[in-house]
Amino acid sequence: MRKLLEFLNRPASRGNFFSHSINAAPLQIIVCLLITGVVVVAAINEYATNKYLNVGYTPDQPVAFDHSFHAGPDSVLGLDCRYCHNFVEKSGHSNVPSSNTCWNCHSQIKTDSPALALIKRSVETGEAVRWVKVHKLPDFVYFNHSVHVNRGVSCVECHGRIDQQAVVGQQKSLNMSFCLDCHRNPELVLRPLDKITDLSYKTAKPEDQVEQGTKFVHDWKVNPPQSCSGCHR
Amino acid sequence: MSKKVFEHPVAQPGEPTGPQYWRSLEERNKSPEFRTRAEREFVDGASQITTVERREFLMLMGASFGLAGLGLAGCREPRTHTLPYAKQPENTIPGIATFYASSFPGEFANQPLLVETHQHRPTKIEGNPSHHANGTASSKFAQASVLDLYDPDRAQASYGANGELLSLAASRDFLRSLSAEAKANGGAGLVFVARPSTSPTRARLVASLKSNLPQATWIEYTPVAQNQAELALGYRVLPEYAVARRFLSLDADFLGSGDGMVEATRAYASARRADSAEQAEQMARLYVVESTFSITGAAADHRLRAGSSQISALAALFAAEVLAQTGKGSEAAALRSKVSGVKVDEAWVKECVADLVAHKGKSVIVAGNHLSVEAHRAVQLANDALAAPVKYLASGVKVTAALSAVKSAKTLVILGGNPVYDAPADVNVAEAIKSAAKVVRWGYHGAAFDETSAAVKAAGGVVLAASHYLESWSDGRTLDGTYVPVQPMIEPLFPTLSELEVLSPFAGVTQEPYALVRETFNGLSANKSDEAFAAWLAEGVLAKSSYAVITDRLSTLPSGSFAAPELSETNLEVRFVPSIHSGDGLYANNGWLAESPDPLTRTCWENVILISPKMAKRLEIEPEPMVINEYIGALNRNINQISAGKLLCRVAKITVGGATIEGPLFIMPGLADYTLGLQLGFGRRVAGRVATRVDERLAGRITGNGFNVYPLVETAQAAFRAGVKLTLVAKSVQVCNMQDHWSMEGRDVVREGSAEDFKKNTNFAKLGIDGHAPAVYGKDENLSPAEKAITTPRGNSAYEHPDHSVAPNVAVWKGHEAEFPKLQQWGMSIDLNTCTGCNACVTACQSENNIPVVGRDQVLKGRNMLWIRMDRYFFDGREKPGMEIPTDPQVTFMGVACQHCETAPCETVCPANATVHDDQGLNTMAYNRCIGTRYCANNCPYKVRRFNFLDYNKHEAGHYYEGPLGPAKLPKDPADLPQLQKNPDVSVRMRGVMEKCTYCVQRIQEAKIHQKAHARNSADIRVPDGALKVACQQACPAEAIEFGDITDPHSRVAKAKASSRTYGALTYLNTRPRTTYQAKLRNLNLRMPGAILLPLSRKEMEGREGHGATHGAGHEVGNEHASAPHGEAHHQ
Repeated sequence: MRKLLEFLNRPASRGNFFSHSINAAPLQIIVCLLITGVVVVAAINEYATNKYLNVGYTPDQPVAFDHSFHAGPDSVLGLDCRYCHNFVEKSGHSNVPSSNTCWNCHSQIKTDSPALALIKRSVETGEAVRWVKVHKLPDFVYFNHSVHVNRGVSCVECHGRIDQQAVVGQQKSLNMSFCLDCHRNPELVLRPLDKITDLSYKTAKPEDQVEQGTKFVHDWKVNPPQSCSGCHR
Repeated sequence: MSKKVFEHPVAQPGEPTGPQYWRSLEERNKSPEFRTRAEREFVDGASQITTVERREFLMLMGASFGLAGLGLAGCREPRTHTLPYAKQPENTIPGIATFYASSFPGEFANQPLLVETHQHRPTKIEGNPSHHANGTASSKFAQASVLDLYDPDRAQASYGANGELLSLAASRDFLRSLSAEAKANGGAGLVFVARPSTSPTRARLVASLKSNLPQATWIEYTPVAQNQAELALGYRVLPEYAVARRFLSLDADFLGSGDGMVEATRAYASARRADSAEQAEQMARLYVVESTFSITGAAADHRLRAGSSQISALAALFAAEVLAQTGKGSEAAALRSKVSGVKVDEAWVKECVADLVAHKGKSVIVAGNHLSVEAHRAVQLANDALAAPVKYLASGVKVTAALSAVKSAKTLVILGGNPVYDAPADVNVAEAIKSAAKVVRWGYHGAAFDETSAAVKAAGGVVLAASHYLESWSDGRTLDGTYVPVQPMIEPLFPTLSELEVLSPFAGVTQEPYALVRETFNGLSANKSDEAFAAWLAEGVLAKSSYAVITDRLSTLPSGSFAAPELSETNLEVRFVPSIHSGDGLYANNGWLAESPDPLTRTCWENVILISPKMAKRLEIEPEPMVINEYIGALNRNINQISAGKLLCRVAKITVGGATIEGPLFIMPGLADYTLGLQLGFGRRVAGRVATRVDERLAGRITGNGFNVYPLVETAQAAFRAGVKLTLVAKSVQVCNMQDHWSMEGRDVVREGSAEDFKKNTNFAKLGIDGHAPAVYGKDENLSPAEKAITTPRGNSAYEHPDHSVAPNVAVWKGHEAEFPKLQQWGMSIDLNTCTGCNACVTACQSENNIPVVGRDQVLKGRNMLWIRMDRYFFDGREKPGMEIPTDPQVTFMGVACQHCETAPCETVCPANATVHDDQGLNTMAYNRCIGTRYCANNCPYKVRRFNFLDYNKHEAGHYYEGPLGPAKLPKDPADLPQLQKNPDVSVRMRGVMEKCTYCVQRIQEAKIHQKAHARNSADIRVPDGALKVACQQACPAEAIEFGDITDPHSRVAKAKASSRTYGALTYLNTRPRTTYQAKLRNLNLRMPGAILLPLSRKEMEGREGHGATHGAGHEVGNEHASAPHGEAHHQ
């Protein structure tokens, strides 16, 4: 290193066009490029991920359905998640409710509200409402709702406190490490099956959760897949 | 350290080796070109760009990057929408498949089906297990029929006489006015041409049509009549394949073609299983007499080659022999005196019949449908004498007017089929269409893609669009007459009409097809309630509705005589058979069928003229001996010639009675000497994008795939025709052939023996090369299959094997592993003994796993994507120096897909970790990780990995090379229709991604999820045996494939693997494949001429058992040979 510096700072020979300090330029350029490279890689690693790109994605919906008003025990109406998303326990998809589900109640109340005009039209004409998809997994990921909600994983783990959201947005990153964290440590999230849709459920003490989860993992023989084939087909 | 090169074990000089199997004549002759081709990682041309110049390529790449830049404008994925139903339909759960019972309409028998639909979109066809004779199996045509529903070239609208668009209502009005017009003169001059159908509702409509319009003519025509014998006799002859133990087939391909193929194969296979000496004693034996090589012939234990024109006479000869041996000497002599002109090995007939007679009550003669009615009567006499298990059924089939009656038509109604293309040469349907005053055509393809529709349009007729059977109401009957529904599961995609809708105005009925079917049901069912009807629709079969058995039938000596013409080099015969790709031409626009290789020739996308080796030599196209081989000597192989890695065939002209056709010659060992095999259904003149050549279409011409055979067909000679001359044309053409793609280079992967050998040594399959190679499990050889699967034992290896089944991999389970039940381990067993090579699995796999069709030019480059390679091996142990191409080879089929090796060679070379093992023993492919290095395909000893060289799903055939500049398949483009068939549970792969058999991982996951979701808070999470069937297993008519948990000793697959016939392919490489095979058995009659040599690999098998001369014959045969120290000792 000393030799290198000596070489770089050697006196310029007479009549040189460039100044003496230019000798350090290659090193400076290399160092700058390295720093830039590291920063860019780190930035992409940090910011070009679901956590930054997708968390908080809260698109406007064609019908301003307010979950915090309808859903959950603390809401005004106190509907269970499964009143509308009724196939979540049977199917891989958790269905967005059909328009006639809305009309079960709204045929009686606020039938002519302008906020419900689209739903009303849909019920009358049979034309689908174009809801905007919020939680979107890539096409090569096959997530199955039924196996999660039937085996002690609550909606809240992936969707967050939907019951407190007026407009639904993505709250969790839903990237692969998010999935694997849970698949490796299911005891941290497993809960009694009657509390699946109770989004506010918590064990009395935080450490009780590990104890309870460990018991469920043992009793139900829980071993979530961690191989590629678990989710990619 | 130098790189270690693995040498496959080779036999020492003087040591007998395994039998020499070959898949093509080139492979057999070990031609230098074959070697270079086999040694390539991919077929020549597969991994090179040939059609795009370098400059053009750079230009396209530049453009692609430019477009990619535009795409990066937004960081988040585009906004997508969820569109729920406005009103939730009953019984529909998004994400869960709904199965509807229906049936695949055949002309002779319907195949009962369960159709998988995803939100009312049919995606997959399965057999209906409620019909026990079929089980879950289905034929390849039924499997492929779902793709026809989404045929982009199907007729999408109806057109009137002036070419104006007809709405559905207008079409119905038109039909009503036409029938009213006809009614005025009693239907005089009104002629209907339809395909035969099994539908009782249609039969009812035709009956009312005849009373409504008494003067009208009703013609049923099909080029490959399966009911010819039935029509002549007046009843249906149905052998009970499951009961019989001795079969003699006289040119009857009951295992390979026809609507009854699934039931026959299933029953025959059940009589063929043998896992112990006692079962081998009870095993069925099959004698076949035939001209071309059929699937049934390939399954035969003893096969006699004879020209089709001789077989009716041969049938009489066999019948006379049966009568003679059952003590009916005078009748036998009378029958024999009627036979003339047959040259046959008397000993063959005598011994074969002796065997049949010895198994009286359990032996049956099956006569080909095209044989003369006299021959059928003779065979029935013989079957009566044998007390054969045959049912004679009152099928109620009626003879209709001949097709030649179209000439007199004033008003012509053509329903389905394609008579302008497929009518015999002596009936000019096109002329009849021109001369008729009014023509109505109801067809699946419109004027642009169908010869008949085009002719009708040109003549100013009306062309009505037809509905697919998955869109319409109808019904039908299975082989034995069981009443089955045809029910719609999707609204018609286009404004189309069903056949019943077209017919009903003429029959004077106004009901909808649903009501008509309901009425028919009421007539056939004892219980007429709505519940019974709903149960019938749900179940898919009506119990006890089969045809009545006939007891009083004519059983006398046939009156006519049986004269067989003498065939010679100058008087050849042609045998017409429906093509495995397009049937009689109706399925010509189905990509799955077009690309699935013919089981015996392994050609696809076109047809060839099959020619016997003897005839090929006589043609003296030659003589330019290209291969000189110590075994064979100089051999002329100019016909099936390989040039630059492609099969090049000489073209020949066939002339008979003034008609001439031209096509490539393909030498087929096993063909009768003077028979030429021709496959119908090619050479369409007006057809869709699959049935015609892409290269020609891009140049603005329409040229059908292959060549048209129908000009040679005549009404009276629809199955074969003698008096044929063959002349060579001075040119050669490339033929699309997969036989040498993905070669295993002659390594010892096929094992077979005779039932006799098996009785002496049930372990014969375990020997052979495994005995020569180092034992793979070494000291762990004696572990149970379950332990082997779970622990991945190290054996004598210096290396520790990574344990793939590290369960449970969850923090909480650490230290408590023993409390967790071991994971299930998946495995497969394929029984080569029952496999007939019918290809149903290949199409089922393609349908289930979204495997793209790549097209003829891509297959020529070696880029076919089929996951299951149905290998066809020929073998002839009588080879000796100087011998020419064998004329009587034996055939073995072996389906090879990913073997899911426990120590998989592909996994170690993947730089992206895209192919890795999962904890249940699956060799998985993570498509999203794959970067397309293709190292895995290179390192796979089974050659089962397939690479997406181009975007076959995104772009249309012919535009693959244009990249983003080419026309994309747009959602509104009809070319995108086939995308509707895609299985939503399987990723659609893109360019640059490797793929291969996944053991239907989507079905495994679905079964596991179903089990867990229902277990809820219990520990009942093991998938029960039988809850899960993979696509090939489900479709297999022979039930040759078992799949399941190999750690459960009671599972079907574990039992199959425990069979003494089980062996693994190339196990000496220590790959430890999860797919194992059960060796084939040939049930020989040692009294037959030449049987002492059979199976032709027998000598080698014997050498193998005793390890040949070098090791002496003193060894005890049996398990000892497979054991480790023994095998190693030999290699010191």
